[in-house]
Amino acid sequence: MKHVLKIMALLVAISAFWIGLLETSVVPRSYAWLLPIYLIVSLGCYGLLMVGIGLMLFPTCPQEAVLLQKDIAEAKEFLKNKGVDVGSD
Amino acid sequence: MELADKAVGFLLSAISLSIFTYYTLWIIILPFVESDHFIHRYFLPQEYAILIPVFAGAALLSFLSMFVGWWSIK
Repeated sequence: MKHVLKIMALLVAISAFWIGLLETSVVPRSYAWLLPIYLIVSLGCYGLLMVGIGLMLFPTCPQEAVLLQKDIAEAKEFLKNKGVDVGSD
Repeated sequence: MELADKAVGFLLSAISLSIFTYYTLWIIILPFVESDHFIHRYFLPQEYAILIPVFAGAALLSFLSMFVGWWSIK
């Protein structure tokens, strides 16, 4: 419940800032009208950029992959010898 | 396999950066440029700058709710 209240308080603060920006004409009016949509689009763009960068920089650890495969084969051997059904390969 | 991942990641970041620059130019810089500059030919009229994100957002929301509804009926 408290998290929802925090988010709503943030939204109210942002809309108050936007309405103040509209009323006092610090920036030209057409810019103030377009500001929320611009911010939402740039937020979506930023999220997409972070996902793309994370995909590019993801480490794959090939040595650990080989070791893991060896561990799996060893465990399957062991369990098969003990009589457990290890399923298909 | 990492190459495919890196390629997809690079494509995503390229798309997002180009969308960001196009949208920033459209909304912020274009009103300052005088109306017979050649750059105006590459940008749609300014009403579309609002219609396209709103339309895309509405399409995304409806797609998400349809997916949730289909999954809960299954």
